[in-house]
Amino acid sequence: MAVFNARDRVIECKIVYYGPGRGGKTTNLEYIFKAGKQYTMSDMVSINTKGDRTLFFDFLPMGLGKIRGCDVKVQLYTVPGQPKYGSTRRLVLKNVDGVVFVADSLEVRRKANALSLKDLQQNLAAQNVDIFKIPLVMQYNKRDLDGQRIPIMPVDVMERDLNSRLKAPCFEASALRGMGVRDTLKKCLVLTLRNLQRELEWTR
Amino acid sequence: MSDKEHVMSLIRQAELYRSQGLLEASMERYQEILQFVQNHERFSKHKKLIDAVRKRIRTVEEDLAETERETDRPELSEEVQNLIQKLFSFSRNADTAAMEGAIALAKFGQYEKAVAEFERLLNQDTLPLEAAKNILRCHLNFSSPRVAIAQFERWVSHKGFSKGDLKYLRDFLEDIFEKRDIEADLPQVPGAPHERARTEKKEDEVLDISSVGLQLQSGPLRGRRVDLQVSFQSGNTISVVIPARHKDLIDAFEPGLQLPDLECYSLIAVFNGNGMVSGKTLITSGPRQGDYTLDIRIDEA
Repeated sequence: MAVFNARDRVIECKIVYYGPGRGGKTTNLEYIFKAGKQYTMSDMVSINTKGDRTLFFDFLPMGLGKIRGCDVKVQLYTVPGQPKYGSTRRLVLKNVDGVVFVADSLEVRRKANALSLKDLQQNLAAQNVDIFKIPLVMQYNKRDLDGQRIPIMPVDVMERDLNSRLKAPCFEASALRGMGVRDTLKKCLVLTLRNLQRELEWTR
Repeated sequence: MSDKEHVMSLIRQAELYRSQGLLEASMERYQEILQFVQNHERFSKHKKLIDAVRKRIRTVEEDLAETERETDRPELSEEVQNLIQKLFSFSRNADTAAMEGAIALAKFGQYEKAVAEFERLLNQDTLPLEAAKNILRCHLNFSSPRVAIAQFERWVSHKGFSKGDLKYLRDFLEDIFEKRDIEADLPQVPGAPHERARTEKKEDEVLDISSVGLQLQSGPLRGRRVDLQVSFQSGNTISVVIPARHKDLIDAFEPGLQLPDLECYSLIAVFNGNGMVSGKTLITSGPRQGDYTLDIRIDEA
Protein backbone atom coordinates (compact mmCIF):
# COMPACT_ATOMS: atom_id res chain seq x y z
CA MET A 1 0.00 0.00 0.00
CA ALA A 2 1.63 3.22 -1.15
CA VAL A 3 2.20 6.01 1.34
CA PHE A 4 1.25 9.54 0.35
CA ASN A 5 3.41 12.21 1.94
CA ALA A 6 1.26 15.32 1.51
CA ARG A 7 3.84 17.78 2.82
CA ASP A 8 6.57 16.80 0.35
CA ARG A 9 4.07 15.80 -2.33
CA VAL A 10 5.71 12.43 -2.70
CA ILE A 11 4.08 9.06 -3.15
CA GLU A 12 6.18 6.24 -1.76
CA CYS A 13 5.60 2.80 -3.14
CA LYS A 14 7.23 -0.54 -2.59
CA ILE A 15 8.46 -3.07 -5.12
CA VAL A 16 9.70 -6.43 -3.91
CA TYR A 17 11.98 -8.79 -5.84
CA TYR A 18 10.80 -12.28 -4.99
CA GLY A 19 11.99 -15.71 -6.07
CA PRO A 20 13.94 -18.79 -5.06
CA GLY A 21 17.22 -18.48 -3.20
CA ARG A 22 20.27 -17.92 -5.41
CA GLY A 23 18.09 -17.00 -8.37
CA GLY A 24 19.54 -13.51 -8.88
CA LYS A 25 17.31 -11.14 -6.92
CA THR A 26 20.24 -9.55 -5.17
CA THR A 27 22.21 -9.32 -8.41
CA ASN A 28 19.26 -7.49 -9.98
CA LEU A 29 19.18 -4.94 -7.19
CA GLU A 30 22.94 -4.53 -7.12
CA TYR A 31 22.92 -3.83 -10.84
CA ILE A 32 20.08 -1.30 -10.50
CA PHE A 33 21.83 0.37 -7.60
CA LYS A 34 25.08 0.71 -9.54
CA ALA A 35 23.66 1.52 -12.95
CA GLY A 36 20.99 3.86 -11.64
CA LYS A 37 23.21 5.65 -9.15
CA GLN A 38 21.82 9.05 -10.14
CA TYR A 39 18.32 7.89 -9.24
CA THR A 40 19.11 6.27 -5.92
CA MET A 41 18.26 8.27 -2.83
CA SER A 42 19.81 6.21 -0.09
CA ASP A 43 22.56 3.74 0.61
CA MET A 44 21.87 0.14 -0.14
CA VAL A 45 21.17 -1.65 3.11
CA SER A 46 22.08 -5.30 3.18
CA ILE A 47 20.94 -7.59 5.96
CA ASN A 48 22.82 -10.85 5.71
CA THR A 49 21.23 -14.00 6.98
CA LYS A 50 22.65 -17.49 6.68
CA GLY A 51 23.55 -17.88 3.01
CA ASP A 52 21.07 -15.23 1.96
CA ARG A 53 20.42 -11.54 2.03
CA THR A 54 17.68 -8.96 2.30
CA LEU A 55 18.47 -5.78 0.43
CA PHE A 56 16.80 -2.43 0.48
CA PHE A 57 17.26 0.99 -1.04
CA ASP A 58 15.23 3.97 -2.17
CA PHE A 59 14.98 4.70 -5.85
CA LEU A 60 13.61 7.74 -7.64
CA PRO A 61 12.58 6.76 -11.13
CA MET A 62 12.93 9.65 -13.56
CA GLY A 63 10.88 10.26 -16.62
CA LEU A 64 7.93 8.21 -15.53
CA GLY A 65 5.88 11.28 -14.82
CA LYS A 66 3.96 12.30 -11.75
CA ILE A 67 0.79 11.10 -10.16
CA ARG A 68 -1.58 13.97 -9.39
CA GLY A 69 1.37 16.33 -9.30
CA CYS A 70 3.35 14.19 -6.90
CA ASP A 71 6.79 12.70 -7.33
CA VAL A 72 7.02 9.00 -6.94
CA LYS A 73 9.63 7.43 -4.72
CA VAL A 74 10.12 3.72 -4.98
CA GLN A 75 11.54 1.46 -2.32
CA LEU A 76 13.13 -1.62 -3.80
CA TYR A 77 13.49 -4.73 -1.67
CA THR A 78 14.66 -8.28 -2.05
CA VAL A 79 13.59 -11.08 0.20
CA PRO A 80 15.75 -13.91 1.49
CA GLY A 81 14.75 -16.75 -0.83
CA GLN A 82 15.52 -19.80 1.26
CA PRO A 83 12.43 -21.65 2.50
CA LYS A 84 13.33 -21.22 6.19
CA TYR A 85 13.02 -17.42 6.02
CA GLY A 86 9.28 -17.53 5.46
CA SER A 87 8.40 -15.12 8.24
CA THR A 88 11.00 -12.58 7.03
CA ARG A 89 9.54 -12.80 3.53
CA ARG A 90 6.06 -12.17 4.88
CA LEU A 91 7.37 -9.15 6.73
CA VAL A 92 9.16 -7.67 3.71
CA LEU A 93 6.14 -8.32 1.53
CA LYS A 94 3.81 -6.37 3.78
CA ASN A 95 2.17 -3.41 2.00
CA VAL A 96 3.86 -4.28 -1.29
CA ASP A 97 2.72 -2.38 -4.41
CA GLY A 98 4.45 -4.38 -7.12
CA VAL A 99 6.40 -7.61 -7.45
CA VAL A 100 9.18 -8.84 -9.72
CA PHE A 101 9.42 -12.60 -9.62
CA VAL A 102 12.96 -13.62 -10.48
CA ALA A 103 12.89 -17.20 -11.68
CA ASP A 104 16.07 -19.23 -12.08
CA SER A 105 16.49 -20.69 -15.56
CA LEU A 106 18.67 -23.57 -14.34
CA GLU A 107 16.90 -26.88 -14.80
CA VAL A 108 17.91 -27.95 -11.29
CA ARG A 109 15.90 -25.02 -9.92
CA ARG A 110 12.63 -25.87 -11.64
CA LYS A 111 10.95 -27.11 -8.48
CA ALA A 112 12.40 -24.25 -6.39
CA ASN A 113 10.82 -21.73 -8.81
CA ALA A 114 7.39 -23.31 -8.50
CA LEU A 115 7.59 -23.54 -4.72
CA SER A 116 8.67 -19.92 -4.45
CA LEU A 117 5.82 -18.74 -6.66
CA LYS A 118 3.37 -20.71 -4.54
CA ASP A 119 4.93 -19.16 -1.44
CA LEU A 120 4.47 -15.69 -2.98
CA GLN A 121 0.83 -16.39 -3.74
CA GLN A 122 0.21 -17.59 -0.18
CA ASN A 123 2.03 -14.71 1.45
CA LEU A 124 0.15 -12.17 -0.68
CA ALA A 125 -3.15 -13.86 0.06
CA ALA A 126 -2.36 -13.69 3.79
CA GLN A 127 -2.51 -9.92 3.46
CA ASN A 128 -5.59 -10.02 1.25
CA VAL A 129 -3.71 -9.40 -1.97
CA ASP A 130 -4.59 -11.44 -5.02
CA ILE A 131 -1.55 -12.50 -7.03
CA PHE A 132 -3.68 -12.12 -10.18
CA LYS A 133 -4.37 -8.47 -9.38
CA ILE A 134 -1.10 -7.10 -8.04
CA PRO A 135 1.32 -5.61 -10.59
CA LEU A 136 3.62 -8.54 -11.28
CA VAL A 137 6.47 -9.04 -13.72
CA MET A 138 8.22 -12.33 -14.41
CA GLN A 139 11.91 -12.41 -15.05
CA TYR A 140 13.63 -15.52 -16.38
CA ASN A 141 17.14 -14.99 -15.16
CA LYS A 142 20.52 -16.57 -16.01
CA ARG A 143 19.77 -16.75 -19.74
CA ASP A 144 23.47 -16.08 -20.38
CA LEU A 145 24.02 -19.76 -19.54
CA ASP A 146 22.20 -20.72 -22.72
CA GLY A 147 24.75 -22.23 -25.06
CA GLN A 148 27.26 -22.89 -22.30
CA ARG A 149 26.28 -26.55 -22.06
CA ILE A 150 24.58 -26.03 -18.72
CA PRO A 151 21.05 -27.46 -18.62
CA ILE A 152 18.66 -24.53 -18.57
CA MET A 153 14.96 -24.50 -19.24
CA PRO A 154 13.57 -23.13 -22.48
CA VAL A 155 11.52 -19.99 -21.91
CA ASP A 156 8.34 -21.69 -23.10
CA VAL A 157 8.76 -24.34 -20.39
CA MET A 158 9.19 -21.64 -17.75
CA GLU A 159 6.18 -19.81 -19.14
CA ARG A 160 4.13 -22.98 -18.92
CA ASP A 161 5.37 -23.77 -15.40
CA LEU A 162 5.03 -20.34 -13.88
CA ASN A 163 3.06 -18.01 -16.06
CA SER A 164 0.40 -19.95 -17.92
CA ARG A 165 -2.34 -18.73 -15.58
CA LEU A 166 -0.84 -15.49 -14.34
CA LYS A 167 0.01 -14.21 -17.82
CA ALA A 168 2.27 -11.56 -16.34
CA PRO A 169 4.65 -9.67 -18.62
CA CYS A 170 7.91 -11.59 -18.77
CA PHE A 171 11.52 -10.81 -19.59
CA GLU A 172 14.57 -12.90 -20.28
CA ALA A 173 17.50 -11.62 -18.29
CA SER A 174 21.05 -12.03 -17.18
CA ALA A 175 21.25 -9.96 -14.03
CA LEU A 176 24.96 -10.64 -13.88
CA ARG A 177 25.44 -8.83 -17.19
CA GLY A 178 22.61 -6.38 -16.71
CA MET A 179 20.63 -7.79 -19.61
CA GLY A 180 16.88 -7.40 -19.11
CA VAL A 181 17.26 -5.83 -15.67
CA ARG A 182 16.15 -2.34 -16.63
CA ASP A 183 13.30 -3.59 -18.82
CA THR A 184 11.99 -5.74 -15.99
CA LEU A 185 12.07 -2.91 -13.48
CA LYS A 186 10.65 -0.40 -15.92
CA LYS A 187 7.71 -2.64 -16.70
CA CYS A 188 7.05 -3.26 -13.03
CA LEU A 189 7.23 0.47 -12.30
CA VAL A 190 4.82 1.30 -15.12
CA LEU A 191 2.32 -1.34 -13.97
CA THR A 192 2.66 -0.29 -10.33
CA LEU A 193 2.24 3.41 -11.01
CA ARG A 194 -0.69 2.76 -13.34
CA ASN A 195 -2.28 0.71 -10.59
CA LEU A 196 -1.64 3.41 -7.99
CA GLN A 197 -3.08 6.05 -10.26
CA ARG A 198 -6.24 3.98 -10.63
CA GLU A 199 -6.46 3.44 -6.88
CA LEU A 200 -5.94 7.10 -6.08
CA GLU A 201 -8.57 8.17 -8.56
CA TRP A 202 -11.03 5.73 -7.10
CA THR A 203 -10.60 7.17 -3.65
CA ARG A 204 -10.59 10.81 -4.73
CA MET B 1 28.08 -37.22 -26.44
CA SER B 2 31.19 -39.23 -25.63
CA ASP B 3 31.88 -40.40 -22.09
CA LYS B 4 34.61 -37.82 -21.79
CA GLU B 5 32.27 -35.02 -22.91
CA HIS B 6 29.66 -36.30 -20.48
CA VAL B 7 32.10 -36.10 -17.58
CA MET B 8 33.26 -32.66 -18.69
CA SER B 9 29.66 -31.47 -18.85
CA LEU B 10 28.96 -32.77 -15.33
CA ILE B 11 32.09 -31.08 -14.01
CA ARG B 12 31.03 -27.80 -15.62
CA GLN B 13 27.61 -28.05 -14.00
CA ALA B 14 29.02 -28.96 -10.59
CA GLU B 15 31.43 -26.02 -10.69
CA LEU B 16 28.79 -23.57 -11.83
CA TYR B 17 26.30 -24.64 -9.16
CA ARG B 18 29.00 -24.32 -6.55
CA SER B 19 29.96 -20.84 -7.75
CA GLN B 20 26.31 -19.81 -7.50
CA GLY B 21 25.90 -21.15 -3.97
CA LEU B 22 23.70 -24.04 -5.08
CA LEU B 23 25.73 -26.39 -2.97
CA GLU B 24 23.34 -29.34 -2.78
CA ALA B 25 23.00 -29.38 -6.58
CA SER B 26 26.77 -29.15 -6.90
CA MET B 27 27.25 -32.04 -4.49
CA GLU B 28 24.79 -34.18 -6.45
CA ARG B 29 26.72 -33.59 -9.66
CA TYR B 30 30.06 -34.44 -8.09
CA GLN B 31 28.58 -37.65 -6.66
CA GLU B 32 27.24 -38.45 -10.11
CA ILE B 33 30.67 -37.89 -11.62
CA LEU B 34 32.32 -40.11 -9.02
CA GLN B 35 29.82 -42.88 -9.63
CA PHE B 36 30.24 -42.57 -13.39
CA VAL B 37 34.03 -42.69 -13.40
CA GLN B 38 34.13 -45.57 -10.93
CA ASN B 39 31.70 -47.58 -13.07
CA HIS B 40 33.52 -47.03 -16.35
CA GLU B 41 36.65 -48.99 -16.91
CA ARG B 42 38.13 -46.26 -19.03
CA PHE B 43 38.10 -43.85 -16.07
CA SER B 44 38.18 -46.21 -13.09
CA LYS B 45 41.95 -46.59 -13.28
CA HIS B 46 42.37 -42.85 -13.61
CA LYS B 47 43.34 -42.33 -9.97
CA LYS B 48 44.15 -38.66 -10.43
CA LEU B 49 40.66 -37.91 -11.72
CA ILE B 50 38.97 -39.87 -8.93
CA ASP B 51 41.09 -38.12 -6.30
CA ALA B 52 40.30 -34.74 -7.80
CA VAL B 53 36.57 -35.44 -7.70
CA ARG B 54 36.77 -36.67 -4.10
CA LYS B 55 38.67 -33.53 -3.17
CA ARG B 56 35.94 -31.41 -4.76
CA ILE B 57 33.27 -33.30 -2.83
CA ARG B 58 35.12 -32.58 0.41
CA THR B 59 35.34 -28.89 -0.51
CA VAL B 60 31.60 -28.68 -1.17
CA GLU B 61 30.95 -30.50 2.11
CA GLU B 62 33.05 -27.89 3.88
CA ASP B 63 31.12 -25.10 2.11
CA LEU B 64 27.86 -26.65 3.27
CA ALA B 65 29.15 -26.94 6.83
CA GLU B 66 30.34 -23.33 6.70
CA THR B 67 26.88 -22.17 5.60
CA GLU B 68 25.39 -24.06 8.53
CA ARG B 69 27.82 -22.39 10.90
CA GLU B 70 26.95 -18.89 9.66
CA THR B 71 24.95 -16.99 12.20
CA ASP B 72 21.24 -16.41 12.11
CA ARG B 73 21.98 -13.28 14.10
CA PRO B 74 23.77 -10.92 11.74
CA GLU B 75 25.58 -8.03 13.36
CA LEU B 76 24.00 -4.81 12.19
CA SER B 77 24.82 -1.24 13.00
CA GLU B 78 22.46 0.70 15.23
CA GLU B 79 21.53 2.79 12.21
CA VAL B 80 20.38 -0.29 10.29
CA GLN B 81 18.55 -1.63 13.33
CA ASN B 82 16.68 1.66 13.62
CA LEU B 83 15.93 1.52 9.91
CA ILE B 84 14.47 -1.98 10.28
CA GLN B 85 12.21 -0.73 13.06
CA LYS B 86 11.10 2.19 10.93
CA LEU B 87 10.60 0.26 7.70
CA PHE B 88 8.61 -2.54 9.23
CA SER B 89 6.30 -0.60 11.54
CA PHE B 90 3.18 -0.34 9.46
CA SER B 91 0.47 0.52 11.93
CA ARG B 92 -0.66 4.07 12.52
CA ASN B 93 -1.28 3.25 16.12
CA ALA B 94 1.95 4.14 17.93
CA ASP B 95 1.81 1.21 20.36
CA THR B 96 1.12 -1.35 17.69
CA ALA B 97 3.79 0.20 15.46
CA ALA B 98 6.35 -0.04 18.27
CA MET B 99 5.46 -3.69 18.75
CA GLU B 100 5.76 -4.33 14.98
CA GLY B 101 9.18 -2.68 14.91
CA ALA B 102 10.41 -4.84 17.78
CA ILE B 103 9.03 -7.99 16.15
CA ALA B 104 10.83 -7.02 12.92
CA LEU B 105 14.10 -6.73 14.82
CA ALA B 106 13.60 -10.24 16.17
CA LYS B 107 12.79 -11.59 12.73
CA PHE B 108 16.04 -10.16 11.39
CA GLY B 109 17.96 -11.82 14.22
CA GLN B 110 18.58 -8.66 16.24
CA TYR B 111 17.98 -10.50 19.47
CA GLU B 112 19.47 -8.16 22.07
CA LYS B 113 17.91 -5.03 20.61
CA ALA B 114 14.54 -6.79 20.13
CA VAL B 115 14.49 -7.96 23.75
CA ALA B 116 15.44 -4.46 24.92
CA GLU B 117 12.54 -3.01 22.90
CA PHE B 118 10.06 -5.58 24.21
CA GLU B 119 11.23 -4.83 27.75
CA ARG B 120 10.79 -1.12 27.15
CA LEU B 121 7.23 -1.74 25.93
CA LEU B 122 6.57 -4.00 28.89
CA ASN B 123 7.82 -1.38 31.34
CA GLN B 124 5.59 1.21 29.68
CA ASP B 125 2.65 -1.19 30.00
CA THR B 126 2.24 -1.16 26.22
CA LEU B 127 0.65 -4.44 25.11
CA PRO B 128 2.42 -6.05 28.10
CA LEU B 129 1.36 -9.63 27.50
CA GLU B 130 2.39 -9.47 23.83
CA ALA B 131 5.71 -7.93 24.86
CA ALA B 132 6.28 -10.64 27.47
CA LYS B 133 5.45 -13.44 25.06
CA ASN B 134 7.84 -12.01 22.49
CA ILE B 135 10.61 -11.78 25.10
CA LEU B 136 10.10 -15.48 25.83
CA ARG B 137 10.04 -16.29 22.10
CA CYS B 138 13.31 -14.38 21.61
CA HIS B 139 15.03 -16.25 24.43
CA LEU B 140 13.81 -19.57 23.09
CA ASN B 141 14.80 -18.87 19.49
CA PHE B 142 18.13 -17.18 20.05
CA SER B 143 19.28 -18.30 23.46
CA SER B 144 17.98 -21.29 25.43
CA PRO B 145 14.93 -22.59 27.28
CA ARG B 146 16.88 -22.07 30.51
CA VAL B 147 17.06 -18.31 29.84
CA ALA B 148 13.32 -18.20 29.06
CA ILE B 149 12.52 -20.04 32.28
CA ALA B 150 14.80 -17.71 34.28
CA GLN B 151 12.97 -14.73 32.77
CA PHE B 152 9.61 -16.22 33.71
CA GLU B 153 10.86 -16.87 37.26
CA ARG B 154 11.84 -13.21 37.57
CA TRP B 155 8.34 -12.16 36.53
CA VAL B 156 6.83 -14.55 39.07
CA SER B 157 8.96 -13.15 41.90
CA HIS B 158 8.69 -9.46 40.97
CA LYS B 159 4.88 -9.29 41.17
CA GLY B 160 4.58 -7.04 38.10
CA PHE B 161 1.97 -9.29 36.46
CA SER B 162 -1.34 -10.40 37.89
CA LYS B 163 -1.65 -14.07 38.80
CA GLY B 164 -3.93 -14.60 35.80
CA ASP B 165 -1.39 -13.05 33.44
CA LEU B 166 1.43 -15.12 34.93
CA LYS B 167 -0.62 -18.26 34.53
CA TYR B 168 -1.32 -17.25 30.94
CA LEU B 169 2.42 -16.76 30.28
CA ARG B 170 3.24 -20.04 31.97
CA ASP B 171 0.75 -21.87 29.76
CA PHE B 172 2.18 -20.11 26.72
CA LEU B 173 5.69 -21.26 27.60
CA GLU B 174 4.52 -24.74 28.48
CA ASP B 175 2.77 -25.06 25.11
CA ILE B 176 5.95 -24.15 23.25
CA PHE B 177 7.97 -26.62 25.31
CA GLU B 178 5.47 -29.37 24.55
CA LYS B 179 5.55 -28.53 20.88
CA ARG B 180 9.34 -28.60 20.74
CA ASP B 181 9.68 -31.66 22.99
CA ILE B 182 11.58 -29.71 25.61
CA GLU B 183 11.45 -31.16 29.10
CA ALA B 184 11.62 -28.44 31.71
CA ASP B 185 10.31 -27.68 35.18
CA LEU B 186 8.37 -24.48 35.02
CA PRO B 187 7.71 -22.75 38.32
CA GLN B 188 4.09 -22.76 39.42
CA VAL B 189 2.31 -19.46 39.90
CA PRO B 190 1.46 -19.26 43.61
CA GLY B 191 -2.26 -19.04 44.20
CA ALA B 192 -3.19 -19.32 40.53
CA PRO B 193 -5.73 -21.92 39.45
CA HIS B 194 -4.29 -25.12 38.03
CA GLU B 195 -6.49 -25.13 34.95
CA ARG B 196 -5.34 -23.36 31.83
CA ALA B 197 -5.58 -19.59 32.03
CA ARG B 198 -7.62 -17.82 29.35
CA THR B 199 -6.97 -20.36 26.62
CA GLU B 200 -5.93 -23.92 26.16
CA LYS B 201 -5.06 -23.37 22.54
CA LYS B 202 -1.51 -23.38 21.41
CA GLU B 203 -0.90 -19.83 20.30
CA ASP B 204 1.71 -20.69 17.75
CA GLU B 205 -0.84 -22.80 15.94
CA VAL B 206 -3.20 -19.89 15.29
CA LEU B 207 -3.34 -19.31 11.55
CA ASP B 208 -2.74 -15.97 9.91
CA ILE B 209 -6.19 -14.42 9.83
CA SER B 210 -6.98 -12.06 6.99
CA SER B 211 -10.51 -11.05 7.98
CA VAL B 212 -13.26 -11.88 10.43
CA GLY B 213 -17.01 -11.95 10.08
CA LEU B 214 -19.47 -11.65 12.95
CA GLN B 215 -23.05 -10.90 13.83
CA LEU B 216 -23.62 -8.31 16.51
CA GLN B 217 -25.50 -9.81 19.45
CA SER B 218 -26.70 -6.72 21.26
CA GLY B 219 -27.20 -2.97 21.07
CA PRO B 220 -28.82 -0.90 18.31
CA LEU B 221 -27.02 -2.89 15.61
CA ARG B 222 -28.13 -6.25 16.99
CA GLY B 223 -28.39 -8.84 14.23
CA ARG B 224 -26.22 -6.87 11.81
CA ARG B 225 -23.47 -8.83 10.08
CA VAL B 226 -20.07 -7.17 9.96
CA ASP B 227 -16.90 -8.10 8.09
CA LEU B 228 -13.67 -6.63 9.40
CA GLN B 229 -10.31 -6.71 7.66
CA VAL B 230 -7.34 -7.59 9.85
CA SER B 231 -4.57 -5.02 9.82
CA PHE B 232 -2.21 -6.70 12.30
CA GLN B 233 -1.96 -10.01 14.07
CA SER B 234 0.17 -11.09 16.98
CA GLY B 235 -0.51 -14.63 18.09
CA ASN B 236 -4.23 -14.97 18.70
CA THR B 237 -4.83 -11.24 18.96
CA ILE B 238 -5.88 -9.40 15.84
CA SER B 239 -6.28 -5.69 15.24
CA VAL B 240 -8.84 -4.19 12.91
CA VAL B 241 -9.38 -0.56 11.98
CA ILE B 242 -12.89 0.92 12.00
CA PRO B 243 -13.17 4.18 10.07
CA ALA B 244 -14.44 7.20 11.98
CA ARG B 245 -17.45 7.48 9.65
CA HIS B 246 -18.83 4.19 11.05
CA LYS B 247 -19.63 5.71 14.44
CA ASP B 248 -22.44 3.25 15.09
CA LEU B 249 -20.02 0.40 14.61
CA ILE B 250 -17.36 2.00 16.81
CA ASP B 251 -19.94 2.39 19.56
CA ALA B 252 -20.99 -1.23 19.20
CA PHE B 253 -17.61 -2.54 20.36
CA GLU B 254 -16.33 -2.02 23.87
CA PRO B 255 -13.48 -3.80 25.64
CA GLY B 256 -14.75 -6.98 27.26
CA LEU B 257 -17.47 -7.55 24.64
CA GLN B 258 -17.73 -11.26 23.86
CA LEU B 259 -17.93 -12.18 20.18
CA PRO B 260 -19.26 -15.71 19.82
CA ASP B 261 -19.32 -17.53 16.46
CA LEU B 262 -16.61 -15.43 14.93
CA GLU B 263 -15.83 -16.55 11.38
CA CYS B 264 -12.08 -16.31 10.85
CA TYR B 265 -10.83 -16.31 7.29
CA SER B 266 -7.27 -17.42 6.72
CA LEU B 267 -5.44 -18.31 3.55
CA ILE B 268 -5.90 -22.03 3.91
CA ALA B 269 -9.07 -22.38 5.88
CA VAL B 270 -12.08 -20.73 7.42
CA PHE B 271 -12.63 -21.56 11.06
CA ASN B 272 -15.04 -20.51 13.73
CA GLY B 273 -13.86 -19.06 16.96
CA ASN B 274 -14.93 -17.10 19.98
CA GLY B 275 -13.54 -13.65 20.42
CA MET B 276 -13.34 -10.95 23.00
CA VAL B 277 -12.67 -7.27 22.42
CA SER B 278 -9.48 -6.68 24.37
CA GLY B 279 -8.85 -3.08 23.43
CA LYS B 280 -10.23 -0.08 21.56
CA THR B 281 -7.92 2.79 20.72
CA LEU B 282 -8.53 6.09 18.98
CA ILE B 283 -5.94 6.80 16.29
CA THR B 284 -4.71 10.27 17.10
CA SER B 285 -2.33 11.04 14.25
CA GLY B 286 -1.59 10.24 10.62
CA PRO B 287 -3.94 9.76 7.70
CA ARG B 288 -6.24 7.53 9.75
CA GLN B 289 -6.61 10.03 12.54
CA GLY B 290 -10.06 9.70 14.07
CA ASP B 291 -10.42 6.03 13.14
CA TYR B 292 -10.37 3.38 15.84
CA THR B 293 -8.22 0.30 16.27
CA LEU B 294 -9.99 -2.65 17.79
CA ASP B 295 -8.02 -5.53 19.32
CA ILE B 296 -9.78 -8.87 19.39
CA ARG B 297 -8.45 -11.92 21.17
CA ILE B 298 -9.53 -15.10 19.41
CA ASP B 299 -9.93 -18.62 20.76
CA GLU B 300 -10.71 -21.34 18.27
CA ALA B 301 -14.07 -22.91 19.02
